[in-house]
Amino acid sequence: MTPDPLTSERAKPGDHVSVVVDTEPRPRRRLSLSFQTRLTLTLLAAAIVPLGVFGLVLIVTGTVEPQVGSRLLLFMFAIAVAIGILGGAVIGLDLVRPLREISAAVQRVSAGDLSQPIPVEGNDVLAQLAESHNRLAGDAERRNRQLGLILAAVESAEPRDGTAALAERAARDAERAFGFISAELRFVDPDTVEEEERIPGVSLPIRAELRAGDERLGLLLASLPATQTWERADQTLLDLYASEIGVALRNAELFEQVQDQNVQLRRLSEVKDDFLRGVSHNLQTPLTSIRSNAEAIAADSAARDPRLGTISDQADRLSRMVQQLLLVGRLESQPLRPDTDVLALGSRVQRAWDALGVRDRTLDFEDTAAGWLAIGDGDQLDQVLWALLDNAVKYGEGTVAVRIGADATAGVVWTTITDQGRGLDESDREWLFGRFERGPAGRTSGNGSGLGLYVSRALMRGMGGDLVLDPPSTGRGASFRLTLPGEPAQEA
Amino acid sequence: MFPGAAARTHGHAAPRILLVDDDRDLLVPLADQLRHDGFDVTTARDGDEALRRLDSSWPDLLIIDLLMPRMDGLTLAREVKARADLPIIVLSAIDAGDNKADLLDEFAEDYVTKPYHYSELRARIQRVLRRVGDRVPRKGLDLGPDLSLELHRRQAVVGGQEVQLTPTESRLLFALAANLGQTVTTETLLSRGWAETDEAEPSYVWVTMRRLRQKLEVDPNRPRHLLTVRGIGYRLVAVGNAGAGLDQADV
Repeated sequence: MTPDPLTSERAKPGDHVSVVVDTEPRPRRRLSLSFQTRLTLTLLAAAIVPLGVFGLVLIVTGTVEPQVGSRLLLFMFAIAVAIGILGGAVIGLDLVRPLREISAAVQRVSAGDLSQPIPVEGNDVLAQLAESHNRLAGDAERRNRQLGLILAAVESAEPRDGTAALAERAARDAERAFGFISAELRFVDPDTVEEEERIPGVSLPIRAELRAGDERLGLLLASLPATQTWERADQTLLDLYASEIGVALRNAELFEQVQDQNVQLRRLSEVKDDFLRGVSHNLQTPLTSIRSNAEAIAADSAARDPRLGTISDQADRLSRMVQQLLLVGRLESQPLRPDTDVLALGSRVQRAWDALGVRDRTLDFEDTAAGWLAIGDGDQLDQVLWALLDNAVKYGEGTVAVRIGADATAGVVWTTITDQGRGLDESDREWLFGRFERGPAGRTSGNGSGLGLYVSRALMRGMGGDLVLDPPSTGRGASFRLTLPGEPAQEA
Repeated sequence: MFPGAAARTHGHAAPRILLVDDDRDLLVPLADQLRHDGFDVTTARDGDEALRRLDSSWPDLLIIDLLMPRMDGLTLAREVKARADLPIIVLSAIDAGDNKADLLDEFAEDYVTKPYHYSELRARIQRVLRRVGDRVPRKGLDLGPDLSLELHRRQAVVGGQEVQLTPTESRLLFALAANLGQTVTTETLLSRGWAETDEAEPSYVWVTMRRLRQKLEVDPNRPRHLLTVRGIGYRLVAVGNAGAGLDQADV
């Protein structure tokens, strides 16, 4: 711990002279003798030179014997030197002490301590120096405080508070930070607002432009009590504040715009959902009554007319296609929230096949997933199975093969649906799961909506499973693979 | 063959159903089909009419449409539940994935999408009727420090965390909670959780119970609330003195 030179000197004021003298012999600083040394030399010169001249005059004029005279002169010189050094030290000390205090205070200020003013005594130049230092430190402290308040104000400006609230708060913060009588933010062209007149003894009008980049947003107008001074540094600080507030206001404005747009988008999305709901209701309701009436007739009549079955099946088919369309509309606006029910895939596939009402094709079905059940949403899975089986019938030929199995290590139950059609090329695989896409056969026949695979994949993924196209292999057509999370069917 | 007869064990001559739909073309044939199967069916064309019918007598079950003029299905369901805890099946062209249907979670016992298959609707009706007579406190059921059930909202609170239950899970829990501390057979749970048309098997109950345990038990491997009675069924038990207040709530 080396002592701070400043404090060590202050602790031992008697060392001043020696410290100063010590620095003298250094050749580099030959010309810059210390203040105290110069003072001492001056005093000595003032005492010795007239004394010497006076002695010489006495000796030359013969008033005094040269021997006596030179001895007396030597003695007087010694006394003058002693008085000179002593006087120089005393006066020097007296002069240097306040200067040292000022220097220490300046060092404190530069180190950030603005709290200790220098005690001011008397009315001389040194006292004035101390006073102006004190004022400087006071100003610095005030600006520091203002800067702190401004920073706090700027930091607390949240875009989500809205422009009106921000402007109001910015005005209040400015009043507090700068000590204004009043302050307000005006969103007008700054050039149209004329400079206010100063009311002597009451207030001083102050203004700063609110800016965000190059854009001039308006003015911050304030009035300062006449008792307070307003210097260039204050104006600079206020300008800085105004530009920060300008940026915050611009951000708030942008935030409000984005919020507005979000609200509009949400409303549009709700309108769309409402519309889809209406469409669904208006299409499904007549289909429901067609279906239920056909079923009712079938239940009543003793002789089962197969045409009633066709009516039911076709109503079902139409309804599923409507459902598919609605799902597409909804996939983007509402998250899928599938149920997580226990499902046996085998019976679901069988039922979906029956619902298709296909008479001229056969289903080759094999279930090897014994001891495993899938977890998913029954209605959604039905929708997927229906779409895939319908595709296999529409685009394939011959038998539709369905295999069901379980992968115990992955905890997955899978289903493959394979048709005997011409299959799909590598190029087809790219667009297959896109919206409104149909296979080559579909494109020519205009059959189907082209939404089946797109919706099906979304539904399967929503359930934590997937729908993929298996790699092509010779001797068979397209093969789709469905997966769902599985659970072993054991008592627990 | 006559499902209504099967449901007649609850004391009524025939289960009474109030059918509410604004579409006459659906209302008439459906009512006929249900009557043919032994149900006592009353119909209403809108919510106001349905509430008026409730003033004179309470059905065992309501089937209501979601989109109706004047009073929609949600408002009607809310009004009905404010009067009595009657089971409600929603029959709607809006499918269950729509978020509008979610609002009904609290009120609807089941959800059937139009166009419905009559056999499926009938199976669902029967399943819902099986719970008639079972009561679970509406404001929630405290089963211990780590578990409380709010089955009417399809929720459980496990260790302070809210857990959403699926409709099937809450149906099974409803049956278990109504017989708290007693063993409920796997067959009973099967008939309460699934309709006949679901072609469910006992393994459905096993897997669902296992998954429920993962949701509700702090340590699923050492269950404290959902206990297996091997070869017979399951039991829901309260831990500590949590079940003490239940008897009063249950009466």
